This record gives sequence, C-alpha cells and structure tokens, in this order.
Amino acid sequence: MTLVLKGVMQSPVTPLKEDFSPDYETFEKLVDFHVRTGATAISWPHHKAESHNLTIAERKALAEVAIKTVAKRVPISIHVSALALEDTYDLAHHAQKSGADAIIAITPYFWKYPPEAIHDYFVDLGTSIDLPLIAYNSPSYLDGIEFTGELTARLIQRLPNFVGMKEASFNSEKFFEIIRAALPLRPNFAMIAGVEYLLPSVSLGGAGSYSSGGAICPNLCVELYECCASGKWARARELQYKLSQLWLLFRDQYPSSLKGGCVIMGRPVGPTSPPLPTASPERIKFIEQQLEALGILDSEPHGW
Amino acid sequence: MTDFKFGLVHAPVTPFVNGRVDLAGYGNVLDFHLAAGAEGLALPMHVGESVSLTVAEREALLEFAIKHVKGRAPIVTNVSEAGTATAASLASHAAKAGAAAVIATVPYYWTPPQHMLVEHFLAIGEAAKLPLFVLNSPAEMNEVEIASQSVVDLLKRSTHMAGLIDLSLDWQYMIEVITVARSVRPNFQLVSGTEYMISAAAVGATGLLSPLAAIAPKLIGNLYALCMAEKFTEARPVQEQAAILFRALRDSGVVGFKTGMRAMGRDCGGPRPPLKSLNEADTRVLLAELSAAGAMNSEPRGWA
Repeated sequence: MTLVLKGVMQSPVTPLKEDFSPDYETFEKLVDFHVRTGATAISWPHHKAESHNLTIAERKALAEVAIKTVAKRVPISIHVSALALEDTYDLAHHAQKSGADAIIAITPYFWKYPPEAIHDYFVDLGTSIDLPLIAYNSPSYLDGIEFTGELTARLIQRLPNFVGMKEASFNSEKFFEIIRAALPLRPNFAMIAGVEYLLPSVSLGGAGSYSSGGAICPNLCVELYECCASGKWARARELQYKLSQLWLLFRDQYPSSLKGGCVIMGRPVGPTSPPLPTASPERIKFIEQQLEALGILDSEPHGW
Repeated sequence: MTDFKFGLVHAPVTPFVNGRVDLAGYGNVLDFHLAAGAEGLALPMHVGESVSLTVAEREALLEFAIKHVKGRAPIVTNVSEAGTATAASLASHAAKAGAAAVIATVPYYWTPPQHMLVEHFLAIGEAAKLPLFVLNSPAEMNEVEIASQSVVDLLKRSTHMAGLIDLSLDWQYMIEVITVARSVRPNFQLVSGTEYMISAAAVGATGLLSPLAAIAPKLIGNLYALCMAEKFTEARPVQEQAAILFRALRDSGVVGFKTGMRAMGRDCGGPRPPLKSLNEADTRVLLAELSAAGAMNSEPRGWA
C-alpha cells in the first residue's frame, strides 16, 4: 500500500493490568476503537504509550497485536526508539517482519552529539529496513538535540524511504524551517505536528498530527482536521482552543491524566507504570469536571 | 481605553550621526515607513536600540516622532526598563506626549517571579493610562516568560491591559494565552512580534509588530494582508521569503539591520556601542543572503 500520512493519526496508550503488565485484550479494544472513530493511521508505542517502561519483549508482543488488530484498515507505524540503539535496530527489524507499514524513531536519547551523528544514525536505521521511515524531532525533551532544515534535506536525498517527520517543537520557525527544506525535494513529505496543534501547522503546509486526546475526544480531533483542511478557520479556532485546553490538562505527567480521563469516558485502560503516577480519584474527579466544562462528555462517545 | 487596534505596525531603526541621535534622518525614516504602508509605528523597539538610549533621548525621540507624523498614523512607544519607576515615568511621559499605546517587556537584568512582573506592568499601565501591550520574548530576556495566568491577572486588575506581543513563536503558549485571555476580555489582542505571521494569524493574532518592514516593507505588507484574509496557502511563498530574511538577520539583530538599511539606500549609520558594525566578511555574507531572497528585487531603494 502507498503510505499516506494525513489527518489526525492516533497513537494509542498502553492499557495495563493492576500489576502493570500489558493488558492485551483491552489494547485490542483500544486500537480498534481508534480505527473505528476516524484515525487516519495508527502509530505505537509513542512516549504516551509508556514505551520506556515496557520491556523489549513486551513491545514486540504488543506491536504484533496492534498490527493484527488494525488489519490493514489504515497504515500502522511502530515506534522503535529505545535507550540502546541495538534494541532500536532489533525493534525495527521485528516491525518489518511483523507487517508494519512504517517505523518511527526519535533522535537518540540522553547523549549529546553533533548533527552529523543524527545523520549517520538515521542513515543506518533507514537502510537497515525495507520500510518507510518517519523521524521524530523533540528538542525540548532532548535538551536541544534537534533536526535542522539542512539535515532533513540531506537525509531526504540519502534515504528514499524517509517519508515524514513527527515535529514536536510547536514552534513556527522550526516547523517552517524543516518543511520548506523538505517539500521541494519530496513533495509528499509529511510534516506531522507532535500533538493536535493542527491550526498553526496545517496552515504552514503540515499534513496533520499525532494525537494526545484521541482516546477521549475522537470527534473533536476529526472535525478540527476537517476544518483546517477545508479552510473553515473560524470554526477551527474554536475547536483548536478546546483541544489545546485538553492537552494542557493531559501534558503534566503525561499520560497519567489521559489514562484517568479514559475512566470517565467508559474506556478504562488501567494504571500508569512507575515512575509515572497513576491518576488519583481526586485527579480523575477534577478531569471529569474539566471534560464536562468543555462539553466533551456530551459530544464524544462513551464506552467502547 | 483599550479600543486601539494594533494592526500592521513597523518598528523603525534609530539613525545616529557621530554617536548622536539624528533627528533629521529620523524624519526620513518615519516618512519612509508611512509611505511604505505602516498602519502604525512602534518606537524605539530593540531594533531601534531602545536599550542604548538615555531616558531623555527616548522622550525626545517620541516627542519628535509625534510632532513629525502629525497624526498620519498612531505612534506606539516602548517603555521597557529595568526599574519599575523609570518604566512608569516613561509611560506617563508617553501619555503627555500623545502616544496611542505603550509596549513593555519584562524588566531587564532582573528575573522577577510572576507576581512581581504583574506589579511591574500594573504600575506602567496606571502611569500611562493608555492601552498597554506586554511583550513576551523569553529568548531575549533570560527565559523569563509572561505566564498566561499573569496575563489573566493583568486583565482582571487593569483596564489598560490591551494585549500581548509574542516573540516566542511557541504554539502552545500563544493558544493558551489567547484562550484564557479572551475568556476574561473578548477583545484581547494577540500580536505577532516576529514575521512568522501564518501560524500566529491562524491561531487568532490580529496584529504584527515588524522590524523587517524597514528592509522589505512590500513583502511584509503583502504577508500581513494575505494572513488577515486567511489566505494561508497563498501566503506560504511570501512567508518563505520573510523567513529567509528573518534567518539572515536573526543573529546579528540591529547590527545587521543597519547594514541592510545602508544596502537599501537608507543609511542610518552604525549601531551605538557596545554594538559594533558588521565586519567586511560578515557584511558580504549578510548582503549575499539578503539578495538571494527574490523578494528583495521589488523592494524600494532609498527614501522614496
């Protein structure tokens, strides 16, 4: 299938049992829920899926479940970033073998290194597989390690399978620097905002976003993208303000509050694994009040 | 008090001859901006070397500008200072002199906590009794950001608080500020303090404070008009030209602006110490970057 990355793409959380082991059955339900409620693609496990807190074996097993559940209804990419790059290459190879449509990877964690090291890493990763590659730029979480327009252009020229970027700087200058380097070289290159900041990114030529709130408010996500894509800017602003308020609600200790919100929506996905906290009953009550104030409880599906 | 609409406001440079403010030359600068489409003028901003002018010089500059412009466009003045009393005294002078509004960023050098920022701005607003626009530029100001809650506090406590000028380029911040501020005061104005106008306009900014208009007023006027008409796709190639100029001038700031002004036939002298004019090699690089921007071919040369 030709990989089209566009619209609001969902990156599911990882449902856990009370002992923090993966809840495979609920995971299937959640992935299926996203596909049925308008996800244009699935991508798992982003950081909100607690990728760092899962073992490599759990990541592989869950990736297989996700790929099988999506069942080619929409494209699915597997996030392969791990602390040790050996694990990343292993996860990438596994994703390909398991039938994923693409992989996604962030700049390596923890270390400080020059732009050349980012280049070499993505060349190594991109040539190690026969799948489309999506890069992930997140300078605020990685202490300023980031893509530049120039580096993006070089990688596009080097890697025919480099098809897009998750861009999480939420910064006009950075987003535009990369997109204007990329599009002349690869017109279908997908610049994907890290979470649903669709209004400022689609207006700059962005393809869509990954989602923070899709497990809570898929209708809002879908309508916001449609308004941006069809130029209904006044309505888009109204929806963007609402979705941004939700993001601020979820951002702290992400994804604890998001998982707390899932309880209210009748789609419980269990606790959040340490060192992240699990949303307390008081926090869940607070989230419920916020969701009610924003009208989410009336406009969004309840239950699976 | 807050019915002043910001619009497209140019930020002129300040000309010096033998180290002194050249008021005759300043008249040419102001006339140039008005003829080139400025809906208002903001002076002296950082690009106007506000920080290197004495309080007496700033007051004389404003008085000269108001007398010279004779109501052809509103004059907004920058009263930013390290100390609250000095800033407030500039603000009260601004009102007497006939300014339409005042701009203030966070105090220089100090890094006060948010509640002290609020008190600082309240004192300025009270002294000016004019619409007050606070200027958020964390990259220039030791990472001190004007928190969205402080904007809310200012709106609740001061009828003069009119809007925020953003230089952070941060989508999360801009949307958060506009959402919470408009819930307190629906006509709160978000102004883009950089020429990355597409995303700012998409999320609801209605004004632009532009230093680049001194170099490329046609381009900036065109960008602003397209963004205000929400023609974001058509605005993208124009935004691209503006981004090239923005990047070329970002690191050298006013030093580069003065080099660029000379190249455009509008010599305003060099910057005041401690800043130095660009050396020959850097001048060549900058001028090559500026002339590589296709839009520069259609920009006015000289004072006409």
